[in-house]
Amino acid sequence: MSSPVTSPKRQAQSEESIKAAEHASKAKRRARRAPYWLIAASIGILLVGTGYPTAWQLVTSTQSYGLAQQFGAAAEFIGLQNYIDLLSDAEFWQVVGRSLVFCFVVAGLTLVLGLAFALLMNAVNKAVRLILQISMLLAWAMPIVASMTVWTWLFDTRRGVVNYLLDKIPGVDMYRFDWFASPWTFFLMAGIIVTWMSVPFVAFSIFAGLTQVSDEVLEASALDGASNSQRLRLIILPMIKPVIAIVMLLQVIWDLRVFAQIKILQDAGASGSKFDLLGTYIYKVGTGSNDFASAAAASVIVLILTISISWWYVRKLMKEED
Amino acid sequence: MKKTMIGAAAATAATALVLAGCSTSSDEETTAPTTEASTGATDEAMTAESADITLWLMGGDTNEDLRQYLKDTYAEENGGTLTIEEQGWGDALAKLTTALPDSANTPDVTEIGNTWSPTFTAVGAFSDLTDMYDELGGDSLLQSFVEVGKKDDKNFAMPYYFGSRSIIFRKDIYDAAGVAQPTTLQEFNDNAAKLKTDDMSGFYLGGSDWRNGISWIFANGGDLAKQEDGQWVSTLSDPNTQKGLKMLQDLYTSSSNAPVGEFDSTPWVNINNNESTGKPEAATIMAPNWAHWSVGLTSEDDNGDVVVGDDGTTPVLTWDDDTFGTFALPGVDGGIAPVFAGGSNIGVSAASENQDAAKQLMSIIFSDDYQTMLAGAGLGPANLDFTSALGDDQFAKVNIEAASGSKLTPAAPGWAAVEGSSLLEEFFGKVNAGGDIAALATEYDAQITPMLNG
Repeated sequence: MSSPVTSPKRQAQSEESIKAAEHASKAKRRARRAPYWLIAASIGILLVGTGYPTAWQLVTSTQSYGLAQQFGAAAEFIGLQNYIDLLSDAEFWQVVGRSLVFCFVVAGLTLVLGLAFALLMNAVNKAVRLILQISMLLAWAMPIVASMTVWTWLFDTRRGVVNYLLDKIPGVDMYRFDWFASPWTFFLMAGIIVTWMSVPFVAFSIFAGLTQVSDEVLEASALDGASNSQRLRLIILPMIKPVIAIVMLLQVIWDLRVFAQIKILQDAGASGSKFDLLGTYIYKVGTGSNDFASAAAASVIVLILTISISWWYVRKLMKEED
Repeated sequence: MKKTMIGAAAATAATALVLAGCSTSSDEETTAPTTEASTGATDEAMTAESADITLWLMGGDTNEDLRQYLKDTYAEENGGTLTIEEQGWGDALAKLTTALPDSANTPDVTEIGNTWSPTFTAVGAFSDLTDMYDELGGDSLLQSFVEVGKKDDKNFAMPYYFGSRSIIFRKDIYDAAGVAQPTTLQEFNDNAAKLKTDDMSGFYLGGSDWRNGISWIFANGGDLAKQEDGQWVSTLSDPNTQKGLKMLQDLYTSSSNAPVGEFDSTPWVNINNNESTGKPEAATIMAPNWAHWSVGLTSEDDNGDVVVGDDGTTPVLTWDDDTFGTFALPGVDGGIAPVFAGGSNIGVSAASENQDAAKQLMSIIFSDDYQTMLAGAGLGPANLDFTSALGDDQFAKVNIEAASGSKLTPAAPGWAAVEGSSLLEEFFGKVNAGGDIAALATEYDAQITPMLNG
C-alpha cells in the first residue's frame, strides 16, 4: 500500500525497483519451478508404472479374485481375509524365513567378495585391472536366462562339470550327485549363482568409492606406522562406509525378491514348496493356481517387509549424513 | 570429501536402479494385429465378412505344412489374413489367463491343453459352439475331449488332436537278458526291476513325473479326483489309487535311476546309446507316441564320421527294429492299461471381436482335408473317422491301441490351478522318494480338494 503523496522521482525509482524485484522473483520462481518440471516426468512414469499396479494390488488383495473374476465375474470384497489366511499359514512363514535367511546370507557374502575384488582392483596394475573389469562386466551383463542355462548344465546330475570335477577329488564320491534333490544343496547352488551374478556390481561400486580415498591420508598413516590391515579397518572402510551401506541395501532388496534364477533352477528339477522363496511362492499362488488375490496380499506383505528393512537402512544413512 | 563420497554412492545407486530397470525383461507383448471388427455380423458363419484373425497354437506339434494349409485356405475362403502365433507350453497358462479376457489382445481362436479345458470353459473363456457341433464332426469327435470342453450340456472347447503314451523298449537288451515283452502290469514292473543296473534304469521314470506315473493309478481303477454331490474331491486316499501308488513306488525304487525331482523328462535321450559309453541308460521308457522320431541309432558315413543333421552337430538317429520295440502299457489283468491321454482342445475366444471369421476357421480345421492332414502328421485327429490316416506302421497301431483305453485328468473347474500349483509333482516326488503313501495322500488331498472347485 503506497502513500498517496510521493515524488515522481521516488515513484519512478520504486517502480523501477519493483520491476527489477519482480523480474528477479519471476526468474527465481521460474528457477524454483524448474526442478519440479524436471522431476514431473519421472514422477509421472512412477505413478503410471508403479503406482497403478500397486494400487490395483492393494485393491485386489482385499477381494476374492480368481480366474472367474479375471474373466469378468464380480469380485467380492472380503476385507483382510486374504492377509489373515496367509499370516496363519505355516508354509508362508517358512517361505518368509527362508527368503530372509537366503537374502542376508547371499547379500553378505556378495559384499565380502565384492569388497575383496574392489581392493584387488585397486592394488593391481592397469592391465590386470582391465582384465578383471572386463570379465566382471561380462558376468554382470550376461542375460539371466543365458547364464542360468549354462549353470544348470554345470550342475547337471549326469553330465555336469561340477560333479565330474568334485568326483576327481580322492575320497569324494560325487558321481551323479543330485544337487536338486535337497533344499540345502538347491539353495547352496542358488546362492553361488546369485552371488556370482551380483559381485561385479558391488565390486565396481566399492572400487568407485576407493578411488575417492585420498592418497595423502593413506600415505600419512603409512608414515605413522599403520599396517595394511589397520589402514583397511581404520581408514579405508570408515571412509567408504556410505557406499557399502547403500550397496548392501540394494543387494538385500534384490536378493529378497530374487525370482528368475530360482524359477529356472526349479524348472530344472525341483518343484516342491520346500524350494520356494517369496518370488516363486507368489508366482505359484498367483499365476500357477490362479489365486490372484492371495498372491496380491503376499506381494503387499513383501512390500512392507522390503520397506521396513530399507527404512532402517535409510535412516541410518541419513543420520550419518547429518 | 564426505559430499563426494555420498555423491559417488548416490550415482552408483542411481545407475544400479536404472540398470535394474533395463534388465527386467518386459514380457513380450503378444498383441494380436488390430482387426477390423466385422460390423453387422450375420448369424451364418459361412458368410463371415473378411477379417484378419489370430490363431494361437501351443508348441510345435502343428507342423509348418498344416499351418500353411490353414493360412492359405482361410485367405481363400474369407479373404482376410490368418496370423498364427506359437506359444510355448511352459508359459501358455499365464498367457491364456491374461489375454483371453481382453478383447484387444485375445487370439480369436486358440489351442489349449486338454486338461486346462474344464477350467477355462467353466469361467466362460470360450464361445458357445453348440450350433456348430454336428457340422464339426458331431458324435465322431473324440468324446473324452468333447466332455472336458462342455458346460451345462453346451459345447465350448472342441478336441484338436490327441496322442497317447506308449512304451519304447530296447529289444536287444530284453533279448540278451531273456526277458519277454510283458502281458500284465506286474510283469512289466518285474521285468524293469530285473533289467536295472547301476548304469541303466530298467524303466526310466522321473520321480515327480506324474503324467506318466498316473497310468499305474488308472490301471488299478483309481483316479485323482471324483465328483461327490456336485463337489469335486481329491481321491489320492482312495484304496484303488493307493494300490496304484504303491505299485508306482515299487517300480520307481526298484528300476529307475532318474532323479526323484525330475518331472519334465525327455526319457528318449536315455534309451538312445550314450555318445561316450555307447550304451543306453534306460532299457524301457514311456513317452508320448511321437517320441519315436527321437529314438534310433547313429550311423557313420564313409569317412567313419557320425552323420549329423542340418545344424552340423545333432547326430541323425534312425529307428532300428532289431534294437528297439514299442508296445502299449499292459493292464493289471492283461489287456491295455489306461494311460494319460495327451492332446489339445481348441476353441473360439468369447472376447474375440471376429466371432464369425473365427467360426469359419473352426470349419476349416474340422474339414475332412485338414483332419486327414493332422493324422498324416502323426497327431491323433479330433474326428475319429480319420484315424486310419495315421498309417499302419507299428507306431500308429500302438498309438491307436493305447488311445482306445486312455483317460483324462479330472474335468474339475479348478484342475488348471491344481496343475499350476505343482502339488502333483511334489506329491509324486515324495511318494517315489519312499514316503508313507497313506499319510502323504491325506496331506495332499486336503490341499488339492479346495482348489478343485475353482
